[in-house]
Amino acid sequence: MKNIYTSRNKIRRFKRDISTWSVWVLILVLLIGLPIYTIGIRLFDGPGEMWEHIVEHLLGLYLANSLSLILGCGLLTLIFGVFSAWFVSHYDFPGRRQLEWLLILPLAIPSYITAYAYHGLFEFSGSLPVLFRHAGIPFNGIDFMNLPGLILVLSISLYPYVYVSTRVAFLHQSNRLKEVSALMGTSLRQFFFRVALPLARPAIVGGLMLVMMEVLNDYGAAHYYGVNTFTTGIFRAWFSLQDPQTAIYLSALLVAIIFGLLFFESWQRRNKRYTLSAQFTIRNLRTPLKGKAGIIAMILTFIPFLLGFMLPLAQLIYWAILTWSKVVDTEFIQMLWNSFGIALSSAVITALAALLLIYMSDWNRLYGIRLFARSATLGYAIPGAIIAIGILIPTLAMDKFLIGFLQQYFNVTTGFIINGTIAAMVYAYLVRFLTVAYNPLEAASLKIGKHLSESSRLLGRNRLRTLLSIEMPLLKTGLFSAIVLVFVDVLKELPLTLILKPYHIQTLAVKAYEYASDEMVAEASMPSLCIIVTCAIIIRYLNKIISN
Amino acid sequence: MTILEICNLYKSFDSGKTFVLRDINLSFDKGKVYALIGDSGSGKTTLLRLLSGLEPVDAGKIYIKDKLVSDESTLISPHERSIGMVFQDLALFPHLTVSKNISFGIVGDIRDNVSEMLHMIELSGYDNRYPHQLSIGQQQRVAIARALVTKPEILLLDEPFSNLDENLKTALRQKLQFIVKQLEITMVFITHDVRDAIALADEAMFLRNGKLLQKGNIHEIFQNPTSDYVRSVYENLTTSAEQLLTVLSKKT
Repeated sequence: MKNIYTSRNKIRRFKRDISTWSVWVLILVLLIGLPIYTIGIRLFDGPGEMWEHIVEHLLGLYLANSLSLILGCGLLTLIFGVFSAWFVSHYDFPGRRQLEWLLILPLAIPSYITAYAYHGLFEFSGSLPVLFRHAGIPFNGIDFMNLPGLILVLSISLYPYVYVSTRVAFLHQSNRLKEVSALMGTSLRQFFFRVALPLARPAIVGGLMLVMMEVLNDYGAAHYYGVNTFTTGIFRAWFSLQDPQTAIYLSALLVAIIFGLLFFESWQRRNKRYTLSAQFTIRNLRTPLKGKAGIIAMILTFIPFLLGFMLPLAQLIYWAILTWSKVVDTEFIQMLWNSFGIALSSAVITALAALLLIYMSDWNRLYGIRLFARSATLGYAIPGAIIAIGILIPTLAMDKFLIGFLQQYFNVTTGFIINGTIAAMVYAYLVRFLTVAYNPLEAASLKIGKHLSESSRLLGRNRLRTLLSIEMPLLKTGLFSAIVLVFVDVLKELPLTLILKPYHIQTLAVKAYEYASDEMVAEASMPSLCIIVTCAIIIRYLNKIISN
Repeated sequence: MTILEICNLYKSFDSGKTFVLRDINLSFDKGKVYALIGDSGSGKTTLLRLLSGLEPVDAGKIYIKDKLVSDESTLISPHERSIGMVFQDLALFPHLTVSKNISFGIVGDIRDNVSEMLHMIELSGYDNRYPHQLSIGQQQRVAIARALVTKPEILLLDEPFSNLDENLKTALRQKLQFIVKQLEITMVFITHDVRDAIALADEAMFLRNGKLLQKGNIHEIFQNPTSDYVRSVYENLTTSAEQLLTVLSKKT
């Protein structure tokens, strides 16, 4: 057979297949990857002045604390998430339907706010010890302001990531497997450990990965509890020590750990199959639990919800009753407006960018570009603080150039033009949360399939018109889900907002953090409750969409 | 008159490690019906996608009315090829009514064209229904009408009979025969059931593992299969040989 893959033929095919779409995808992906490339390039400038000091005195601590957090939170979220998912998907007991979605609600509370609430609940003069002592029960409280406390708080705040993915996996496991196991004399407990759990492994690990990313991204809770982690170290190096190069080196180390985790996750799934063919799948049937067993199941599944949502919410409501008249004023309303406006505009822009990325990389015919486009979705794995630094470096350089240029050629003196603007912040959200919008949109577009758009093209419509007239109407739900998911994440995001926020604009997340840092943790409750109520409503709505 | 010609066509989806189509040479005459026969994975659907311009070729040339439309450096866009295509899943736009589906590809005098098409597929009065409100047979006819409304010279159909029961199959065959005759178009359809080809096609092409095994008049192939695969396809027919020959003799 003749060789049709000669260099000459490859060049001819490349010329034929390269299109405007390929170039647009390339530009979009490079733009999204800019903060990470910046950090990578700046590594070559060598370590900063404080690097040696950090390595000698703090790096070990950062590493030990961050690894302890990863492992501790991994273990606890595994226990909370997997067991509650198992109970609600395999048993029927009183309150199961409500608990199914209530167990997701801790995601509505940013973990730094849960941290404030737990300290307020359990410190010596906190709500619970005071309540107990009033009732004559001696209770001096629990000190949460340490590493184990942080592990517990982050775990009860983040376990829904494991719960959600594992519940889906359990629900999709065919009842046939349960029946086969029962025929072989296996108890339900044995079935859980020998069949259900190993089959759900990719989903559990997927959820755990999200937990670990969030743990490494956390700044607010670790800073409040005084636990030194990589993220607090990055903040300290950049802002307190004024040593960007050291912050960059710490960021690079953290990124290396994260990519190590991601690599481990894909390695553990290699060449394995965890799903049954659709033809063998029959709906999972729940075993009814009545009487005492039903009550025990209900209590056990209620505990994560109680710890992760009800307790912190109760404390925040108590604080809000005490402080709302001091906190709520016209500035507060302005802050609400700012937060929702920024979150909504970022969400819409991010969802549209994700949509364009999905479709333009599909329209482009070069396979390499398609692969490269996937790299744009890695932003979610990178902590917000690192993305913020990756944006600050080039934008500061550009501002410096622009200020000099305007001064020299137009005799105009100006301050920062790009830095400290909403545009820079929205860009950072786009980089960090593109995956959040990308995943539901990609799922929705895969569901539509290619044939509708191909029919449209055969009938003379171009790609953009096809997207607008055929795909967009069918993507409505996916697009809406993408927008609200990003909205929730932006509303809760702290480290990135803290670094990039324009100085004259205040947001709910930053205000809550500032109150807590200024020893006014009770005042932090009102902005926190605004975030929680909004996120809880959205989570309830999204759960309804997914269930339908 | 040759309307469509394929020369030395190659297609691979993994840069030549495995070929979905290898050295395919075919020509199609105006006004005739062709059946592409082969098992799953034989390359039938890929061939239709290459003809319609939805996929680029790795090597080889495709000509439509002597104009080069695909080769290593050319890819004329699908709507400039005068080709209509009906997908196996029909790909009707679920959010558009029957009339909007049919008129999707036309500009200008839409009403006459749509009612003419609806009349031809015997669905007059169904203009404002949505695809999910139609039976599978009706949906199939709407998909065909939509593909024909732009007046293509070539109609490609991917497994048009696969989801139909015997009665619907017969009705659709009759409808397609009528359309080909009335509009004088060339029709290429995919099937894995040789009986569809016998009932409808003038010529058949057998594909296996991306290679063209045999092509020609369906009667002649039946008399003289040149490969074990083609022979086995005929031998596996549930219809008896006598019945088959009767059908063939009626056609020829």
